[in-house]
Amino acid sequence: MVNEEEIIKVAKLMKIDLEDHGEHVGRVKKMLEYFDILDQIDLSSEEITSQEKLLAELRKDEFIPHDKKLIESLKNFREHYVRAPKMN
Amino acid sequence: MTKIGLEIHCQLTKLESKLFCSCKANYREFEPNHNVCPVCMGLPGSLPRLNQKAVESATSIAMALNCATPEKIAFFRKNYFYPDLPKNFQITQLNVYGDMSVGGEGYVDVEGKKIKIRRIQLEEDPGRLIYEGTSDRTKITLVDYNRAGTPLVEIVTDPDFENPRQVRVFLNILSDLLENLGVAEPGLEGAMRADGNVSIEGGNKVEIKNIGSFHDLEKALHFELTRQQSLHERDIEIAMETRHWDDRRKITISSRSKEEDQDYRYFLENDIPWVKIDQETRDVLKKNMPESISSKKERYVEKYDIAPQVADILSSDRYYSDLFENAHNESNAKDIANLITTDLLGFIDTREKRETSKVTPQHLADLVNAVNAKTLTRNSSKIALQEIVKSGKSVKELLDEMDLGQVSDSSEIDNIISQIFEEEKQAVQDAKERPETVNFLVGKVMQKTKGKADPAKTLELIKSKLGQ
Amino acid sequence: MNLNTSILQYIEDVKSGSFTVEEFISATIDRIKMVDGNVHAYLSLNDSAINDAKLIDKKISSNEKVGKCYGFPISIKDNICITGTKTTCASKILENFVAPYTATVVNRLNDEDAVITGKTNLDEFAMGLTTEFSAYGATKNPWNIDYVPGGSSGGSAASVAANECLASLGSDTGGSVRNPASFCSVVGLKPTYGLISRYGLISYANSIEQIGPMTKTVKDNAFLLNIIAGQDSNDDTTIDNKNPDYLNEIEKGIEGKKIGIIKEMTTADGLSQEVSTATKESIQDFEGLGASCEEVSLPTIPYTVAAYYTITSTEAGSNLARYDNIRYGYEMESEGYEYNSYISKSRTKFGPEVTRRIILGGFVPSAGHAGKYFLKALKVKSKLISEINTAFEKYDYLIAPTAPVQPFRFGEKIDDPVTLMLLDYNTVTANLTGKPAISVPYSVINGLPIGMQIIANSLEEKSLFQAAYALETKTTIPEVPL
Repeated sequence: MVNEEEIIKVAKLMKIDLEDHGEHVGRVKKMLEYFDILDQIDLSSEEITSQEKLLAELRKDEFIPHDKKLIESLKNFREHYVRAPKMN
Repeated sequence: MTKIGLEIHCQLTKLESKLFCSCKANYREFEPNHNVCPVCMGLPGSLPRLNQKAVESATSIAMALNCATPEKIAFFRKNYFYPDLPKNFQITQLNVYGDMSVGGEGYVDVEGKKIKIRRIQLEEDPGRLIYEGTSDRTKITLVDYNRAGTPLVEIVTDPDFENPRQVRVFLNILSDLLENLGVAEPGLEGAMRADGNVSIEGGNKVEIKNIGSFHDLEKALHFELTRQQSLHERDIEIAMETRHWDDRRKITISSRSKEEDQDYRYFLENDIPWVKIDQETRDVLKKNMPESISSKKERYVEKYDIAPQVADILSSDRYYSDLFENAHNESNAKDIANLITTDLLGFIDTREKRETSKVTPQHLADLVNAVNAKTLTRNSSKIALQEIVKSGKSVKELLDEMDLGQVSDSSEIDNIISQIFEEEKQAVQDAKERPETVNFLVGKVMQKTKGKADPAKTLELIKSKLGQ
Repeated sequence: MNLNTSILQYIEDVKSGSFTVEEFISATIDRIKMVDGNVHAYLSLNDSAINDAKLIDKKISSNEKVGKCYGFPISIKDNICITGTKTTCASKILENFVAPYTATVVNRLNDEDAVITGKTNLDEFAMGLTTEFSAYGATKNPWNIDYVPGGSSGGSAASVAANECLASLGSDTGGSVRNPASFCSVVGLKPTYGLISRYGLISYANSIEQIGPMTKTVKDNAFLLNIIAGQDSNDDTTIDNKNPDYLNEIEKGIEGKKIGIIKEMTTADGLSQEVSTATKESIQDFEGLGASCEEVSLPTIPYTVAAYYTITSTEAGSNLARYDNIRYGYEMESEGYEYNSYISKSRTKFGPEVTRRIILGGFVPSAGHAGKYFLKALKVKSKLISEINTAFEKYDYLIAPTAPVQPFRFGEKIDDPVTLMLLDYNTVTANLTGKPAISVPYSVINGLPIGMQIIANSLEEKSLFQAAYALETKTTIPEVPL
């Protein structure tokens, strides 16, 4: 069973400050409880599949410079560098 | 028993473009953040577009390391927050739905021991963080995303190494192999990096990260082995952990437990369909791979009668083997090989010298021809080569310009010998009494002619003058 | 000027000189100014729309080549990027985000001389079914402004229904085009996965979502698909559709076609009496058109909503990780903060529903829980694909009502997350299987619309339009009372 502590830990991992976590936790718990329905279906013979593409259909290896000075359209940059907060 | 395993990261710098966009793969020539686009900056709405040649290059690395290569490859997201990751996930590979990374289960022979390759995967390099001042004092972190999205191949070995020396031999073999494949330049700063894991008998495995160079890797491994042995001798348990290499203090430091807490939530990157690489495609890739180092060496020895140690030098270095292959014909191969390994090697012994060198295969062929036709002495050929490295002038030009043409006219050499006999009376006397000292006189003639005199003829003339 | 007209009629009128593009666009903008205060379909308007219209008029009058769209007005969901304009995803975290590029679909519209009216409202990051989760206020249903317009492309649907444009582009991750199409009585298509480029669409759950056209008529929808469909070198997941003309033979009819009525979607507990009755009537209509209908069971359907929310929250958790307010975003000084506390604080700008989905997305694929949730969800998807492919061996189309209920009042369902999730019950199957599905306005009961959904096999959009058009001929929808 999912508990509140676990959900708060995950929120931290996902870099979400939960201010009034009470409501979120309740709703997330309800959704997770609904997902328990997945325990009731037999999936033993199923395999995971995906869209496929041939190697030859992939992008060709060409250098094409981006036409705009992208950096200048972004915030938080100084002398060509992006400014991030200090690391701990 | 000591067990060491490696995780090697190698940038595919020989590619034109990044792994998922058309920015330059070799980011080194750009101002910070000037080799970026919406894709490698992870702007919302942009989508990754996989580079075909990156897949081919990574596959050929896998083949060269004797790996099995799968029919289909898949990409995954490794999710974690870090300012050098524009999307806050890294696109990489994983083998959870079957073997779907570019290669696995290979090996490399290291001095008769098989080092097993567990997995090879293609992934994107993150950007670079620059700390203002020392990292613990700084108020902000500066980020340069030029490197973000550079194609990176990760090679994971089993813990098969028994000591740091084997690691060094392996990394040399691997560097040569990657360079020979024409996919990477291991000598470029930051183009090849390795993390290690170490355990000793009865101890837990310790991962070491943040190692800047192969040189430091060996030091880090030595330090870590010593640390573990000393703990073991004092009956202290060796904790399973990740440690960081402190480049300044040359020690490993325990990282806070945050690595262990990390949950990367790996799942399929669905913006990139699974790539089918059928048997036929793989056969073509294999066929188009450059000849392996060992096969080259064998061929040089057997076909051209080149000495094994010379063949070793030539074959293991892609730059020299390319020069050799393009310079030689059936008859002069051995001479070209010797010219490269005895003379050229000394002139371009650093990366910078190699990059600026103007030597072409034609130069080498011309030099050997001139020596064999006796229009140039071996000695002058060496002088000429040094000049060619700098200026790239043709051998013919240099013969005229530098007055290097071989002197084989008897009367001209005779004149010089007479002068020497005047100047070196004692030596002449010595040579008369002890014929083996005659080389001193030959040397003097060569000196006077700046090495242009035909050495055989000079010796003959001196001997006759000495009455021998 | 009659703004309640189809694209095809509009083009004929412009060609014949009944009015100029500028006249029509001006009238449309006047209409927006008049009604959008109540409807709130738009988040931003295109200031140069009149200018764009004038340029097209100039082309027409000087006999230059004119694009196929002849300047008809179209709105764009605000999670699709247009260079130089704000793309907010109805989120505070992207309040000032200006994309430096234009989505492929918008480029294709511009190339064919469509006029963009503006960007439309949605549930934040397209997560929702009512637009109540927009950070900028909900859109109202033009049929009754006390009722939700559906979602997440609620602004798009409402803008078309309220005659604030002739068409719109929405995006459909689990019904986000079809659900509001049904609630607002417009035609909405979720095409085959990979038919339309997603380049420039801000990802929510990229493995299953598609951009889809929303129009007043089925023919208009086919017309629009002709323009925006097809492979794009900027999107590796696009597929070759061989460029069929979706309008050609649209009136062919469905005589002799086999239709499967999806049992699980027409007998579920949540189905309202009105929707159930309408479904039965539509079956009679299909039979009247010469098709044969019978019930078909896809037994995996009861598990699809759980699988859908597991997959979408996993992908959302990852897709929305990039919003750390470092490279772009809103003003918040980073000095004095440590990295983790900075991004955690800046990410409190996400609204409550997005926050919950991100938390779910951290939970269901995590090392300790992936086996219970995420991997099972992927296998449900695989199983559903096998089932639906088997069904398409026998049937040309599968049908079900688009939504199990009619539009409801604001606030009515927002408090119960499970009730909200189950509103997707009939639409997520097309997303999980990648099949094309269309919602066609069927009737208006008690002043509120009901839409019917038709699903076809992959890349069978042409055939899908034929069935949708046939059904459309059987319906009479009143004018929107706004």
